[in-house]
Amino acid sequence: MSRSSKERLEARGVAVAFGGIRALSGVDLSLKRGEILGLIGPNGAGKTTMVNVLSGFQRPTSGAIRLDDIDVSRLSARKIAQAGVARSFQAARLFRAMTVEQNLSVAAIGAGLARRPARERALGILDWMGLAGKADLRCDSLSYGDERRVSIARALALEPSFALLDEPASGMNDAECEALMELIARLPERFGCGVLLIEHNMKVIMGVCERIHVLDGGQSLAEGSPADIQMNPVVRRAYLGEKASDRTLAI
Amino acid sequence: MMKSDAVFHFWFPVLAIVVPLAVIVALTDQFGGLSLQRTVIEMLISIVIVVGLYIFVGNSGIISFGHATFMAIAAYASAWQTCCEMLKPITMSGLPPFLRDQSIPLLPSALVSILLAGGAAFLTGLVLMRLTGLAASISTLAVLFILNVVYSNWDSVTMGSASIVGLPTYVTAWLAFGCALLAIVVAWLYQTSAFGLAIRATREDEVAAAASGISLYWSRLIAFTLSGFVVGLGGVLQAHFLGTVSINNFFLSFTFLALAMLIVGGMGSLAGAVAGVVVVTTIVDLFRRLEAGISVGGGQWSIPAGTQELIIAAFMLLILIFRKNGIMAGREIGLPQHTHREKGLVHG
Amino acid sequence: MANIVQVLVDAIALGSLYALVALAIGLVFGVMRLINFAQADYITIGAYALVVPTASVTPPLLLGALPAALMIGGVLLVVVVLALATERVAFRPLRNSNPSTLLISSFAVSYFLQNLVMLVHTGRPKSVGIGQGLASAVEIAGVRIPGVQLLTMVVAAGLLVALVLFLKKTPLGIQMRAAAENFQMARLLGMPANRVIALAFAISGLLGGAVSLLLTIQTGTLDLRMGLMPVVYAFFATVIGGMGSLPGAALGGFLVGVASVLLQTYLPPDLRPFRDAGVFTLVILILLVRPQGLIVTSAAKERV
Repeated sequence: MSRSSKERLEARGVAVAFGGIRALSGVDLSLKRGEILGLIGPNGAGKTTMVNVLSGFQRPTSGAIRLDDIDVSRLSARKIAQAGVARSFQAARLFRAMTVEQNLSVAAIGAGLARRPARERALGILDWMGLAGKADLRCDSLSYGDERRVSIARALALEPSFALLDEPASGMNDAECEALMELIARLPERFGCGVLLIEHNMKVIMGVCERIHVLDGGQSLAEGSPADIQMNPVVRRAYLGEKASDRTLAI
Repeated sequence: MMKSDAVFHFWFPVLAIVVPLAVIVALTDQFGGLSLQRTVIEMLISIVIVVGLYIFVGNSGIISFGHATFMAIAAYASAWQTCCEMLKPITMSGLPPFLRDQSIPLLPSALVSILLAGGAAFLTGLVLMRLTGLAASISTLAVLFILNVVYSNWDSVTMGSASIVGLPTYVTAWLAFGCALLAIVVAWLYQTSAFGLAIRATREDEVAAAASGISLYWSRLIAFTLSGFVVGLGGVLQAHFLGTVSINNFFLSFTFLALAMLIVGGMGSLAGAVAGVVVVTTIVDLFRRLEAGISVGGGQWSIPAGTQELIIAAFMLLILIFRKNGIMAGREIGLPQHTHREKGLVHG
Repeated sequence: MANIVQVLVDAIALGSLYALVALAIGLVFGVMRLINFAQADYITIGAYALVVPTASVTPPLLLGALPAALMIGGVLLVVVVLALATERVAFRPLRNSNPSTLLISSFAVSYFLQNLVMLVHTGRPKSVGIGQGLASAVEIAGVRIPGVQLLTMVVAAGLLVALVLFLKKTPLGIQMRAAAENFQMARLLGMPANRVIALAFAISGLLGGAVSLLLTIQTGTLDLRMGLMPVVYAFFATVIGGMGSLPGAALGGFLVGVASVLLQTYLPPDLRPFRDAGVFTLVILILLVRPQGLIVTSAAKERV
């Protein structure tokens, strides 16, 4: 696949089964460049599996992933990354013995840059994210919050058409989380990419996303604007049914 | 353009390794006895070999038991080209005529030998680098055994398990130092290049590297091939330092010693690879002398042969248990931190 | 042309010997992701325990002088204790290291033990006569089969059955299989890690001791490297069988053993010395087609 920017990333009727367990069944999802789509759902709803499928780490049992109408379901994770679909991981998975700048440069190199330009791109992104001062620190010396930010920065260093962020704010406190969401809100404008955002905290996600897709038990429950989702009785039931004390209730 | 300050910062970790080595060579060259001079040359050759091994093992994190194979290929190739013109037609009658009936000048023969080693590493890598880490490690062992079986039994060309003797011995301390310098510079340029960064990322986290668009296969294959060239250089040097080549010197004991050097110093950094060679060579040399016997107070005193091997193995285990990233703990010798940005490259 | 039945017997005998060693390697790999080079030295040291340490080429017998039952028990005990000792001293402190570190540490343990044997017994090969009565051939259905081959087959088959029964029927065995499939999960479910790992080493010692005796009876010689080739073959067996799969290890062991005997029999005489190279090339070719091995387990794949 060429490296030029793509307009649309789609999942069509995606199903994934692990042995007898169906992690996803018949999910349709579409992400356009420039938009932020929220992907929410209770624990075990299949959110991470969806990201794994979209990024090529998990072959769908049936259904297809399409990038600008080209089927990419059988491409390796690396090829999909190079075609413009970047992802972050729930656990940051940084290259721990390398510096922050090198972590980002690896992704830029993966996107086809030489060492010098990769470094320039890395420093540019770090600058934009307010991490310029940390460029030469080894990742095993970073604070937890910085680890999370660097893992997002690394995904962005691919200059992807689509960035799939798997719970980027997990474990952060409210202030950190809010700052991160402000940053994510500016991603489409800065990088011209589409963002798929997985997040537990409904309040947080309502503020950033134009559209929200709800998964439950591996199936699509609903999709619509934050307001629609908030009012949707099915969604409310799914969330209420899960855990009464969950802060996701604080809509 | 890099400013000269930045250039200095970039090369500092190399200078920090090479300058002390140069001092050692100069001092022993001037004041050392013959046996010490030989030890220093052996150490420099070991640096070439272990740095070559490091280029793959250190950067990829995959243990290779197969690198002695590429050394042997280079050493034998050099022997075929340069050794004992009078005897060759009898002792190695199976050689093709252009090798059997003439000698080839030293420099071209060395280059050809190194090319062969690198080529063999490339071909082996094409197959093995498809495997996952552990399976690849075990398969490198298969490569080592295959070559050992073939060379031990291919009597008409390799003289079987006997030694080929009479190679020209041209390796001096300064030549060995020059080659060690070359190996270190190659390793440094590689590990700070885009390829080097990519493979170090796969070492840290294969999954995250794939998500960053890095190809495990190609980055490992490049490292494997490059390290094949460098250990090939080591093989040629060793052959022309000892003047003999024997397949038994390229088998498990040798592989163990080379890996022990890399592990003791710390396989995560170039400084570690070199430090490990220096430390292990020192221990081996010390115990070798004790095994040979020293005179204490008029009486001859020695320790049983084989103690040295036990000590090295035990030392390596202790390092693995108590300082598992080795003496250098995976770090290069950099300048103290300051705010200048270009120094980022220094962390390699 | 060699008699088909004889070749078959040879192939099965060697195959089952390698399967035993491969199972020993596979069990330990299963519970702690360690590919244990020292298995070679368990075998070597078990054999050397038969004789008194001297520089002599025909040393007096030590354990080998005991009555058969005691001798067998003695050798097995020595190797089990040795295996447990290496686990306790060298491998337990490294338990949470990555597989590369574990692999290299077992290489160091092996090198240490090998040189220790050399220090105690000197490096010269020795001859030792135990179980000579077994060397005579037995005639079955018109085919003469060496008694040693029969013994190897019977012992190997017996141990394989016993091991399978242990793994399938006893609680500890079931835990061990669970651990081999997914160690973290088994641990979360309350598996006693220390006990299961120690047990895996004990079994690998037991199998190693059995192989010591079989090899010594077969060859009548002791050699520092006598354990090396079986273990290297077993390594390749576990890799082509699929790392972490016990049936895969046994299958791989049989395959490499059979391949070795077939090449030995059917290669032209001047190529026979290259037999091992042929088998190992075959191993690499199999891996080229099936990089994950013949039986793929969840342990072989990394989770995202």
